[in-house]
Amino acid sequence: MLRTKQRTAVVVFLLPPLGLYLLAVVGPILYSLVLSLFEWDGLSDMRFVGLDNYRQMLFSDDIFWTATGHGLVYLAVSLFFQLVVALMLANLLTYISRGRELVKTVYLLPAIVSTVAIALMFRRIYSLEPLGLVNAALGAVGLDVLQRPFLSDLDTVLVAVSAPEGWRFAGLYMLILYAALIAVPKELEEAARLDGASEWRVFTQIRFPYIRPVFLTTAIMAATYSLRGFDIPYLLTNGGPGHASELLTTYMYKTAFTNTDFGYASTLSVFIVLQCIVAVALILGVRRTGRDAS
Amino acid sequence: MSVQVAPSASLRSETRVPVPAGRRRLHVARRAAPALVTAIVLVQIYPLVWVFLTSLRPAGEFAAGNPFSLPTDLTLENYRRAWEMAPLPTFIINSLVVTVVSNVLIVGLGMMAAYALTVLGFRGSKVVLGLFLIGIIVPVHVALVPLFITYSRVGLLDTYQSMILPLAGFSLPMSVYLFSSFYSYIPRETYEAAELDGAGPYRIFLQITAPLSSNTVITVVFVNSIFIWNDFVFANTFVLSENLKTIPLGLQNYMGAMGSMDWTATFAAVCVTVTPLLLIFLVLNKAIIYGLESGATKG
Amino acid sequence: MKHTRWALAAAMALALSACNGAGAGGETDPSKVTGEIEPREVSWLLSRPADGAVIATIEEIAADYAEEHPGFSLNLITTPDRPSYLQKFETLATANKLPDFFDTDATPFADKLRQRGDMVDVEALLESLDMLDDYRPLALDYQRFDDGGLFMLPFEFEAEFFWYNTKLFEKAGVEVPATLDDLVDVCGPLRDAGVVPIALDGQDQWPLERYLSYYPFRLAGPDYVKELKKGEASITEEPGRAAAEWIYELGQAGCFPEGFSSTGYTDARDLFTTGKAAIYQIGTWELPTLAGPLPPETEGAVDYFTLPTVDGAVTDDNDYTVVSGIGTALSSRTFDPLVKDFVTYVLQEYPERYAAQGRFSPTTNVETTKPEGASPLYDKVVAELDNLGDETAMPWDTQLDPTSNTRLQQELTLLAQGEITAEEFLTIVDETIKENAE
Repeated sequence: MLRTKQRTAVVVFLLPPLGLYLLAVVGPILYSLVLSLFEWDGLSDMRFVGLDNYRQMLFSDDIFWTATGHGLVYLAVSLFFQLVVALMLANLLTYISRGRELVKTVYLLPAIVSTVAIALMFRRIYSLEPLGLVNAALGAVGLDVLQRPFLSDLDTVLVAVSAPEGWRFAGLYMLILYAALIAVPKELEEAARLDGASEWRVFTQIRFPYIRPVFLTTAIMAATYSLRGFDIPYLLTNGGPGHASELLTTYMYKTAFTNTDFGYASTLSVFIVLQCIVAVALILGVRRTGRDAS
Repeated sequence: MSVQVAPSASLRSETRVPVPAGRRRLHVARRAAPALVTAIVLVQIYPLVWVFLTSLRPAGEFAAGNPFSLPTDLTLENYRRAWEMAPLPTFIINSLVVTVVSNVLIVGLGMMAAYALTVLGFRGSKVVLGLFLIGIIVPVHVALVPLFITYSRVGLLDTYQSMILPLAGFSLPMSVYLFSSFYSYIPRETYEAAELDGAGPYRIFLQITAPLSSNTVITVVFVNSIFIWNDFVFANTFVLSENLKTIPLGLQNYMGAMGSMDWTATFAAVCVTVTPLLLIFLVLNKAIIYGLESGATKG
Repeated sequence: MKHTRWALAAAMALALSACNGAGAGGETDPSKVTGEIEPREVSWLLSRPADGAVIATIEEIAADYAEEHPGFSLNLITTPDRPSYLQKFETLATANKLPDFFDTDATPFADKLRQRGDMVDVEALLESLDMLDDYRPLALDYQRFDDGGLFMLPFEFEAEFFWYNTKLFEKAGVEVPATLDDLVDVCGPLRDAGVVPIALDGQDQWPLERYLSYYPFRLAGPDYVKELKKGEASITEEPGRAAAEWIYELGQAGCFPEGFSSTGYTDARDLFTTGKAAIYQIGTWELPTLAGPLPPETEGAVDYFTLPTVDGAVTDDNDYTVVSGIGTALSSRTFDPLVKDFVTYVLQEYPERYAAQGRFSPTTNVETTKPEGASPLYDKVVAELDNLGDETAMPWDTQLDPTSNTRLQQELTLLAQGEITAEEFLTIVDETIKENAE
């Protein structure tokens, strides 16, 4: 349906958004690409170093690899809350007859509280000296052995900083999944129940296949926002203790603004962008197989 | 991405295995669900209550007591301090300006791009869509140094635009993605009928596509508002003057020497600053939830 | 105007070139700046609390100045949170957009700015105003670069003490530690008495780094860190090794609260003021809190001791960490007769007005007014400040290059937590410093 008139229309409609996008997103990425070939502290003259920064990043920077690995854990924990827990809650909600509206509203609330407040609250929730909420609860049920300063313990800190991010936006994704679940035709479920299927079976064999496309959209949203995660780890632990909760984003930020090593920070940026392209390709791949399967 | 996927045909025959316990289990599920849901509601609402109670707690008690107990004394003193220490209304107005303008851009431009890519279509539209998709997960920090250097050259530092441009730019990809998912779901026939009436691409956009998008608009606006309202990084990097500070930046005014913080006043300020968002949310609650539900499931 | 701005934004795409437009600096010699005073808006980028005494005093002075010079105004751009401030400061410096006044410590980054000719020579300025002798030498030394160059003005003067709770010391049956090793030894009894021995703000990392600087300062004096950062001394040598081992021992003895690495500044202070922790290392900037009204658990029980010594110390007991706060530099690019006149006025007015608020001026020509209701502790501190030695234990975080400093701070937390040994700590830090030393 491409006629001349429409060709101008395409240009008219596409140019402004593309312009903004190129200006605010693509431009800076290209700029980073250039900067990544230089050594620059922001003050002295820039020194062209070719691929040295990349060589350093890939072969002699242990923190870089640690942070990359942490990013995956962070993603996994966030997604656990935002997809698994959210889906479970959404499913539970369909069994409730009263107060659904209230519940839906309340679920969304943590998302609108300022990050600074969330971070401070979690610092106190995880604390051991003075006794915080989690440790108090563990003590109350006799699990004293599990008590620990969650944000200082090298084994727990990474999960501890990931959880708030997951918890915070779980409500948002739950709502979307809930909407999809109630759209599942009742006749299908009833038929299954009449056949004696358990609720678990109803969920796995009827509901989930039915909402799979929505689930994928939700997964894309959740994954992308989690990959951008920065505020909460930065405010809670700033990547510490040591590098136990360092993410690529916090590492890049510190390299740029604490160490004023803009060239190397740009190299890390470029890697993050590459990582993103791979992630998008993977997600689109899953989408395609999903479509083919149905 | 369509919801109207038929469950696999094999299912029915599979579930025909006689397991008579089904009905009873449903009752168990029905009975357990409220208790679980209530527990989770408490977890979700807790932080807001905590922030609010802390804002009413005397500063000394916050320092000394168990921060999770109920306050013994209620005081508005924290609010008075919060009000005195920083121009809160200015911060709120700035945040509103940035959030509203960014959202207008995100929605308007997102719809336009999705319309061009999905409805009008052209050769290479998939490539352009892919280009947008890459932007979905690029962390915003990539842009800080390049944008700062460029801003300072063209004199854009310390303006509303300096914050709005990257905020809108980085939210645009998700918006384009959601709108184009939704548009691919609008039946072709809708447009063909309009075209027969002689409507051009502009009229179709304004009279058919745009009005149909309202649910997706709500989804996009709500999700982005949360992120933009809370943005700290861009504001801190690009804004210098006190009268352009947004809320997250303004909250720093409660910070004292060497990193000490007047927490109770900060929380009072958090309560004040969260109010506009909360009010909008409560007033538009039904519309937002409805929009999220239908906007995202169709998308 | 709006339209042009947006058009400019569009032009940004074209401006995406990678060349660095760093031009030459302005006039760094203040005596060469003369001429007509033309009032305008003057900006000051600072990292001080918005409601603090420094800003209050400066604002008051600026208001008086504006009355005599219509058209003058002072725009204070304040970012109290230090990491956010540094990010802003560095981006502005990178873009050559530093305002008339800006706050900075004598860091390697600031040194680069000075070498680029971006800062006015403050020593020459004070000399020409005949004010140099008014200043406490320690206050000026804190602001100096390694070669002695003075390019930042001090606006505060604070000493760092170990504050302790006399009631808790009694309860645990311990004495004020005389040596650094004694400090380790008091932790056991305090723990047994059910209190946290030392409150520590681990979140901000500089407090723990102070502890690392103590042993070397006592054993080798103030020059050690200056040699260390240039790679002339190695941290694996005796002073550094002793420091690392001491930190490890402090951690092993349970001196710091469990989970200190995520304890914030306020939390640490509250731990002490509410009687849950026995010792708290902090500067006299907290004196208004510590000598002011306190909760019953600590009321009348707060005292302090100064930095303990070690066997074979080369510095005197009255030498310890004394700071004059983050300094203020004058941008040479915008240093004109107005800025010169204004800063002169500020320097004349500041000490007296600042001291009137109960704070300690970096000069010796005024007497601090004791705030109403302050405890006798206040007088004790005032007397202590008149009895200072002539060396100061420089905080390491302003000395080391930022990359080494970041790495050191991160590893230091692990060391205090007992996750790594002193040997491992020294090896990593030594490598990092070698890589990054100028």
